[in-house]
Amino acid sequence: MSDSLNRRDFLKLAGTVPLSLALRPFIQTFDPSQPAQAGRKNVIIIVFDAFSAYHIPFYGYGRETTPNIARIAERAIVYHNHYAGGNFTTPGTASLLTGALPWSHRAFQLNATVAESFANKNIFQAFESYHRMAYSHNPLANTLFKQFADSLDDLVPQSRLFLTTDDFLGKLFGNDEDTASIGWARAIKKQEEGYSYSLFLSDLYAQYMNGRVANFKPSFPRGIPNVKGDNFFLLEDSINWLQAQVGQFPEPFLGYFHFMPPHAPCTTHKDFFGQYANDPFKPPFKPNDVFSEDRSYDYLLRRRTEYDEYVLYLDREFGRLFDYFESSGILENTWVILTSDHGELFERGIRGHISPLLYEPVLRIPLLIFEPGRASRTDIHSLTSAVDVLPTMLHVTGGNPVDWTEGTILPPFAPANGDSDRAVYSLHAKNNDADAALTHATAMIVKGKHKLTYFFGYEELGEGIERVELYDIESDPEELNNLYATQKGIGSALFDELKEKLREVNQPYLK
Amino acid sequence: MQGYSRQGLWSLFLMCAFPIHLWTLILAFRDISWVSARTNVWDAIGVASYGLMVAFVESVALFAVVSLFGLLVSTKWNEERRVALLSVLVLIMALWAVDGQAYFVWGSYVSAQALWYIASLEHPFRFLYGTVLAIVFLTTAIPAWLLLKSDRFFQLVQGLMERLSLLTMFYLFFDVVGLIVVVIRNV
Repeated sequence: MSDSLNRRDFLKLAGTVPLSLALRPFIQTFDPSQPAQAGRKNVIIIVFDAFSAYHIPFYGYGRETTPNIARIAERAIVYHNHYAGGNFTTPGTASLLTGALPWSHRAFQLNATVAESFANKNIFQAFESYHRMAYSHNPLANTLFKQFADSLDDLVPQSRLFLTTDDFLGKLFGNDEDTASIGWARAIKKQEEGYSYSLFLSDLYAQYMNGRVANFKPSFPRGIPNVKGDNFFLLEDSINWLQAQVGQFPEPFLGYFHFMPPHAPCTTHKDFFGQYANDPFKPPFKPNDVFSEDRSYDYLLRRRTEYDEYVLYLDREFGRLFDYFESSGILENTWVILTSDHGELFERGIRGHISPLLYEPVLRIPLLIFEPGRASRTDIHSLTSAVDVLPTMLHVTGGNPVDWTEGTILPPFAPANGDSDRAVYSLHAKNNDADAALTHATAMIVKGKHKLTYFFGYEELGEGIERVELYDIESDPEELNNLYATQKGIGSALFDELKEKLREVNQPYLK
Repeated sequence: MQGYSRQGLWSLFLMCAFPIHLWTLILAFRDISWVSARTNVWDAIGVASYGLMVAFVESVALFAVVSLFGLLVSTKWNEERRVALLSVLVLIMALWAVDGQAYFVWGSYVSAQALWYIASLEHPFRFLYGTVLAIVFLTTAIPAWLLLKSDRFFQLVQGLMERLSLLTMFYLFFDVVGLIVVVIRNV
């Protein structure tokens, strides 16, 4: 037999190419080198942006903001002392996705990405045998997704769930879409900063965009839900889209879905508008801080009320999504996690979350885990952190543990039922160079019932002046009595532990 | 276009492009530091380049609108005076547009005492809108009237236009550089 192929043989072989291409997915599915997928459950992580546990009644809030979540929490593991890794989307989401604290993943500046060494250390990579997808309304989370794109099978464009989009940018400048989007936003969109490069077209553009969503205005008395003024969306659409998608995902799958409510602007649905307008609820007065924006108590109460009414909207939609998961049988083989990236402040003259302050409402976030087949509620009161979600989900789905995470397996899944001496940390370092040691930041440690916060490197405090606060968050959950001067023993023990941790994480960055 | 020479239209285009490009460049330079801090200098140049592309399109759009408006200006004044009139109106309009954004750029605002005074009036909104209307009318009408009636003012405006035209030519050169940057980034 001749070693060379004649023309006829070649054509015969060429004819099998389409068949081999068609069979490729099946060949991959049955690749014996792949770990067995049978029995591995799906994972759906739902993140509501800036959703503070301090605004949820089953965590102790005075307004009934979450009737639906409270109803379905009866079938969940409910974590009562769960902390975000940071106080805004970039560090908070990066901690959730990497299972590492901001001083390790280094995404602590606004719209930052994680350090190069963490680019392949994320939940999507950890679930590499799964079909992995991600969506976020929030552009800061999308910045991280783009960095993790190699670990994702399906990165859904942010614009997919917006009512109006600038998708022409992707068509015209496909190779440079990120920078083109920033350039376009700076040139034409006033909403973000209040000014734009354009002197005249920006107003026309705003009018045009408003005209396109005019039909939805009657349903949203405070304005249509949006991201930075003009990326309008409806949470109903997002939930409907997710319902439609879930049934089509190849199993097992890991889905991370990050929705904007209740992040400002808090433009609730008309069904909830004015719900708390005349209620007697009055949060405690807290004095202004040196980092305060000097917002009055009444102003903060009004904004809080708008936020709480927005929470009602997300509560209804999450309830609807969960009911769908249940009726469609998805819950039988899917872990569902409800959480947030960070909380929100309506106190001490501040409305928002990006500030050096790390008080409880901006760090304490909800965590509910819905286990497949679970019919009863379990309440967990030990300290937990966003960095625990990744190792826990790997553990419960039978995945291989990863060595980079700073989290631990959450109770009740942990082999030993929780570490009572565990310290939980959070960090704000928005203006600190990501490639340098931490010299301009706020770091927090919580251990037992005590929380210590350490402010350093801030001009507002005065040259070289540091600030330390210590609270007993069990007896003083509103953090009104700084115990640092009086409880010296506990204070210095926690402070030493935190400073030792800072020394450790700063070590690689010291020149 | 009827009643306007190519030279006159070119001058008018340069006057339309001047404030738009100046404002774009001021803000783009302000943005360079934060964009480069987040990503790198090349991206910061990219953002400015896209901004310049928009500025060019806006200049053309404004020029088209002003040219059409120019058809309404009586031909009893010569072309140079009509172009100068349209140019002055464009510059005044641009100044007001800048003023509309100044609060957010530089934090310039009406003093608290003035706001308290206005709020204490019986019809604060009528007062506010009436005052703004009067100021806008006067700042537009007085230069326009001076331009048409005073040769000295006309010559002053012409001198200003010549200098600004030269400056705008540099800005248009930046547009070309910006276009090249955009093309390089997209190939």
